[in-house]
Amino acid sequence: MFNLSEEEIERYSRHIILPEVGGSGQQKLKESSVLVIGAGGLGSPALLYLTAAGVGRIGVIEDDVVDLTNLQRQVLHATPDVGKAKAASASETMQRINPHVEIDVYQQRLTKENIFDILDKYDVIVDGVDNFPTRYLLNDACVMKKKTLIEGGILRFMGLIMSIRGGETACYRCVFEEPPPPGTVPSCAEAGVLGAVAGVVGTLQATEVLKILTGIGKPLYNRLLQFDAEELRFHEVKAKRNPDCPVCGKKPSITELVEYTYACKTQAPKT
Amino acid sequence: MAAGGKISGKGPELLKLGSGQARPGLPLNLIVQGKKQAYSGPPDVRSLLEAQGENSAYVNIRINGQIMVRRDFENISLCEGDRVDFLYFMGGGNV
Repeated sequence: MFNLSEEEIERYSRHIILPEVGGSGQQKLKESSVLVIGAGGLGSPALLYLTAAGVGRIGVIEDDVVDLTNLQRQVLHATPDVGKAKAASASETMQRINPHVEIDVYQQRLTKENIFDILDKYDVIVDGVDNFPTRYLLNDACVMKKKTLIEGGILRFMGLIMSIRGGETACYRCVFEEPPPPGTVPSCAEAGVLGAVAGVVGTLQATEVLKILTGIGKPLYNRLLQFDAEELRFHEVKAKRNPDCPVCGKKPSITELVEYTYACKTQAPKT
Repeated sequence: MAAGGKISGKGPELLKLGSGQARPGLPLNLIVQGKKQAYSGPPDVRSLLEAQGENSAYVNIRINGQIMVRRDFENISLCEGDRVDFLYFMGGGNV
């Protein structure tokens, strides 16, 4: 017997009617927990769809404040939210969409001190961070804790997505061993980003989460999907686990979390 | 060096990954990002990236299925028929 109310059965009826999901799949979503790092360009669409889909408990980590320049793509937030903490704004929007979802709000940055405790509480992690140091910290922590991580990145007209089963499938470092030198990769604030590209990638991340939680289809493990909006093309690249990977290889050189502390010129100025 | 392969005997030692032969004076036929392309520049990876207008600081590369290590780019030689994919660093997400 499923622990879904009449209202929930009606709300999720277009899921439940899918034979691959059904009542049991919807129940699995209700019993699941997902952590989304960042409530910005990628976090916004991911959180909207995960909330609407009825994931039982969703964590949001975000320490920034809603800025007018965010609104072109960060669709969780609206004009009256400018100046408000993004974590609070995100939570309010999510509650309006689906009051059945329990929301954990972390108005803080992810650090090597807090990351393990926070990750432990969730089944699947979604990466929507805005900088390379946190991206590598998150990858390494997920490998060490054997967590499932859905990687995502965007820049200009391009996007990237990759699903990682920590310690089992190719991780971010298997593909990108070290962060790029500071200042070489422009940020979205410097190079721009088409807002809808964030929507495509964040929605793909949510799709991967929902598939993994319900056991539907084939996750994007050991594959890297690059999206080129100008050509409207997806380019898939197979990614094997790298035996020389510094974190998940045969002889890992990284056995404790490292937090890259360089003053990254690529980070967006807080405006 | 992460990759295995043949080391050429002439000039700077370049690591070859593909089975195709170099063709002195003739362009190399490559498959770059899934598209066939004749490339006539110097046969190392960094030169190919520059010719494609890519900055090697923010692109990683995969040749015939094998992901390369960035610091080795100058030492990797391209061969006839190599399949080259670019993997872009994208840090954005929350900005």
